[in-house]
Amino acid sequence: MEILKIEDLSFSYPLCEKKALKNISFTVERGDFVTVCGATGSGKSTLMRMLKKELIPLGELTGKVYYKGKDLDTLSEKETTCSIGFVAQRPEEQIVTDKVWHELAFGLENMGLPKDVIRRRVSEMTCYFGIEDWFEKSVNELSGGQKQLLNLASVMVMQPDILILDEPTAQLDPIAASDFIATLSKLNRDLSLTVVITEHRLEDVIPAGNKLLAMENGEIVKYGETRSAISALYGNKTLIEGMPAAVRIFNNFEINTPCPLTVREGRDFIEKNFSNEIRSADKKEQKNEKKDAVLEFSDVYFRYERDLPDILRGLDFTVYENEIFCILGGNGSGKSTSLSAAAGINKPYSGNIKVFGKKIKDYKNGDLYKNCLSLLPQDVQTVFLKNTVKEELADVNMDTSDLPYDLSELNERHPYDISGGQQQLLALAKVLSTKPKLLLLDEPTKGLDAYAKKSIMDVLKKLRALGMTIVCVTHDVEFAADCADRCAMFFRGEITSCSSPKEFFSGNSFYTTAANRMTRGYYGGVTTVADAVEIMKKNGAATK
Amino acid sequence: MITIKNAALRKVLKIIIPFLLVPLALAIGIFVLEEKSYTFISIAVSILALVLFISGFEKKKTGTRRLVIVAVMTALSVVGRFIPLFKPITALTVITAVYIGGEAGFLVGAMSALVSNFWFGQGPWTPFQMFAWGMIGLIGGLLSKYLKKSHALLIIYGVFSGIVYSFVMDLWAVLWHNDVLTAEIYIAALVTAIPYTVIYSVSNMIFFALLAKPFGEKLERVKLKYGV
Amino acid sequence: MKAFDGYNPIAVFIYYAAVVSVGMFCMNPWIIGFSLVGALVTFFIRNKLSGAKSHLFFLLMFAVMVIINPLFNHNGVTVLLVINDNPITLEAIIYGIASGAMIIGIIYWFRSFSQIMTSDKLLYLLGSISPKFALILSMTLRYIPLFEKQTQKVVHAQQALGLYRDDDFLSKIRGGIRVFSVMVTWVLENGVITSDSMTARGYGITKRTHFSIFKFRRHDIILTVTTVILFAVMLPTLITGAINFEYYPKIVGEETTVFSVLAYISYGILAFLPTITEAEEKIRWKYLKSKI
Ligand SMILES: Nc1ncnc2c1ncn2[C@@H]1O[C@H](COP(=O)(O)OP(=O)(O)OP(=O)(O)O)[C@@H](O)[C@H]1O
Ligand SMILES: Nc1ncnc2c1ncn2[C@@H]1O[C@H](COP(=O)(O)OP(=O)(O)OP(=O)(O)O)[C@@H](O)[C@H]1O
Ligand SMILES: [Mg+2]
Ligand SMILES: [Mg+2]
Repeated sequence: MEILKIEDLSFSYPLCEKKALKNISFTVERGDFVTVCGATGSGKSTLMRMLKKELIPLGELTGKVYYKGKDLDTLSEKETTCSIGFVAQRPEEQIVTDKVWHELAFGLENMGLPKDVIRRRVSEMTCYFGIEDWFEKSVNELSGGQKQLLNLASVMVMQPDILILDEPTAQLDPIAASDFIATLSKLNRDLSLTVVITEHRLEDVIPAGNKLLAMENGEIVKYGETRSAISALYGNKTLIEGMPAAVRIFNNFEINTPCPLTVREGRDFIEKNFSNEIRSADKKEQKNEKKDAVLEFSDVYFRYERDLPDILRGLDFTVYENEIFCILGGNGSGKSTSLSAAAGINKPYSGNIKVFGKKIKDYKNGDLYKNCLSLLPQDVQTVFLKNTVKEELADVNMDTSDLPYDLSELNERHPYDISGGQQQLLALAKVLSTKPKLLLLDEPTKGLDAYAKKSIMDVLKKLRALGMTIVCVTHDVEFAADCADRCAMFFRGEITSCSSPKEFFSGNSFYTTAANRMTRGYYGGVTTVADAVEIMKKNGAATK
Repeated sequence: MITIKNAALRKVLKIIIPFLLVPLALAIGIFVLEEKSYTFISIAVSILALVLFISGFEKKKTGTRRLVIVAVMTALSVVGRFIPLFKPITALTVITAVYIGGEAGFLVGAMSALVSNFWFGQGPWTPFQMFAWGMIGLIGGLLSKYLKKSHALLIIYGVFSGIVYSFVMDLWAVLWHNDVLTAEIYIAALVTAIPYTVIYSVSNMIFFALLAKPFGEKLERVKLKYGV
Repeated sequence: MKAFDGYNPIAVFIYYAAVVSVGMFCMNPWIIGFSLVGALVTFFIRNKLSGAKSHLFFLLMFAVMVIINPLFNHNGVTVLLVINDNPITLEAIIYGIASGAMIIGIIYWFRSFSQIMTSDKLLYLLGSISPKFALILSMTLRYIPLFEKQTQKVVHAQQALGLYRDDDFLSKIRGGIRVFSVMVTWVLENGVITSDSMTARGYGITKRTHFSIFKFRRHDIILTVTTVILFAVMLPTLITGAINFEYYPKIVGEETTVFSVLAYISYGILAFLPTITEAEEKIRWKYLKSKI
């Protein structure tokens, strides 16, 4: 049955000439799991909002959306709010009340349902999502992942027929993210819930879905069954770059089999078509020359308030000159806290932090921030102070021609009126303008498409070549595997392991790249798609 | 569920309570009753203020966004009340009233009094503060046409309403303490409060001079972007 | 669990309404005495001896009220001394003490009340009166900490970019204004986004139910019934003025009757109910624990 039908939809924001959406038409069947992908600023969030009547932004809209054959405009409010559920890009955005239980009940209260019905549905969902433990907590105390799960649960209590999600996992750690996707796919199977989701990290999402919608500049490039849609995108460099590792590996060879999507299919594909005589790529061992320490944590303890538990518990690590040091770890493990400590904002109660060999305490009058160190915070909106993008860049005397990417199109916009990824790029530009020697980045690639991510990676590598040291917290294992010199695992306020990306990812079984999981036991030391392709090419076809 | 369902009744209440019934209650309490005037006034005004407050909430949705802006502005002025000496409640109430409307202004004033008292001490004075600050907003909304045009007028209104506010609260304090009102003791109370009133007026002046324009711009932007 | 924390907000509210309304409007020394002592004991049981500074403040306030009244109020017949042609009377002094005690008592009742009524209880209470009001309040209460937290974050972010200095007073103020200004934009923007999220989840479509996790248990019924009975016993004397007390021009109380004694006893019990329940709970808990 056709559940959603979009007909010739176009949209432009007020005071913007460029259309954010152009002539969009497609249909979604009941029980479909549609993945929407596309570059930063291609109009995914805008499209998602068009499907939820209450969230359609102000602007010029033409075209129609039909829900179960009826025009969305003619449906009653009750019908649209109950049957179409929406989960927003930033978890904080959606939360209305101050207690978890109240948040869960909120939608049902609005429907005016009797109390015992509310009680039953709330308790059922609480069990389904496993959130009993924090049922009575205040929402401010939850971690990002918990908040997003709460958002999903509080939409699901309304028993929607279709669920629309806008980058729900952007801030989640890899394990929480794949759990979240698994929950969605379970809902899709158990309740034949229709799901429409946008994502940039497609590794887990694409295999879970059955359809793919690719967008570019506000237009649909391709829509259809996942495998066939992907094969139609082979020529499109920017879009293919964001696909699962199996697809990208497959795309490097001209072999006439169906395209693999999951890790298992990828593994089958490799084993069937390639031999493994050469087990591992010869490692280009890095010469271990002695380098100067740039950032040293020694036995650092920190807590936010006297009565709260320790967040950093004896944190101990050193970052050397001219390297890219990536920190990975679960949500709420204390990564952002440690970066703030390195930037002199959180003051540890015990232990020492040295920047360029000098204790942070000994930097006076903001010397620490004068061409020395700079931090890109996790919440990039905190970086913006002005009314337009142009003023924002002028505020820090940024010469836009230095930037590796182009923001001039956004010049006159308010920093809050650009897409999530564009905000990320603008904030990075502001941070780079301070010309630091030590750059601290907190999740710089969240909300960015693969192509923009690649350009950021190139920027970072270029900066390293110019002598900058970069510490980067990230949830993106692919990113870390590709550009880090060393990776570290953060766990409960400490760094538990720290080594080169090759060693690091070969040692982990979940916290690792898809390329590594795919080749584990077949080839050794493969972490990125490029590694895999290289060794596969060396080995050549399987001899059967 | 107490909501006043009849729209016409709500409209009438919104006018007669502040401009007729409350002054009437005060007059009766002060001039007619010889004793127990406090008991009478406080009960009467509390009830009237509550009815007025409730009639500010309509049953039908008047736009959730407006409601949220009220919540947000209230939160801002509550946070502002923690700044020592300078209390921006009056300023934010009036600015909201001018740019969003008298009703929103009333709610911001009344809510700020109520909520901030959770930190500064809840007491029998709460309904009076709610009423006084709410009225500053309500009247500001009625005058919004003129206040929007002239910055000077806005500042004058802000400072003036600040002073009237302290006079009214002093009146109430005297009544509570003494149960009857004598001119002598009221004047004494006003005199002791002079330094406070002066600081209060000056801070209001600064706030209006500094905040009115940027706040206005920001509220206008939100109005444009989201069509509040 | 401290006295009344575990009770249903409605029961607690009824109790406080009864104890405060009588305590506030009745100037009888017995009532004032019970109200003051009951309020103080309730507060001290909850807080032990912490917060000495605030107690000192109220003590000072009490002293000021006691001193000011005779200085400005010259009613009363028993003149003690004359300052600048103004008589200082015994009645005025006593009235100052009485009204000061009354006010301090009420203030302490309100203090313990705001401790017991945490935000979620308050919302539950208001939600049954006006759901819309409850919602605005709920959001305001959520935005206050959110605003403070976000301000901190912005300040830190700007600091780490070297754009916010607080080495001297002027740059501190300048930085403060920049941050406050952007925070206003942020909070308005986020407010609208939240309101969209509310509409998206059906806010304002039909009459809201007010769901809560509070139940009306047996001890709530007991508390409410006790409060109502005690109040009912006092009511006739309150209405007829049988326990009225005159301070000016001369201190005279109404005659003591069976009814007025009953009213004093009732109020005495009422004022000490929190203390009694606390004690009862402690004893019962000890007993229950001994059975585990
Ligand atoms: N409120 C707004 N006012 C004006 N233009 C906007 C607004 N929000 C987004 N845009 C513009 O519309 C285009 C599409 O934005 P949208 O947020 O839909 O992108 P997106 O595909 O979701 O990107 P991302 O992956 O970064 O989240 C972008 O060019 C963006 O700058
Ligand atoms: N300002 C604060 N006050 C109190 N606790 C805080 C504060 N900020 C963070 N925390 C707590 O500290 C812990 C670590 O938070 P932190 O933000 O450093 O985690 P993280 O590793 O960066 O997580 P994520 O990957 O979700 O960003 C969390 O449990 C969080 O709840
Ligand atoms: Mg988006
Ligand atoms: Mg973090």
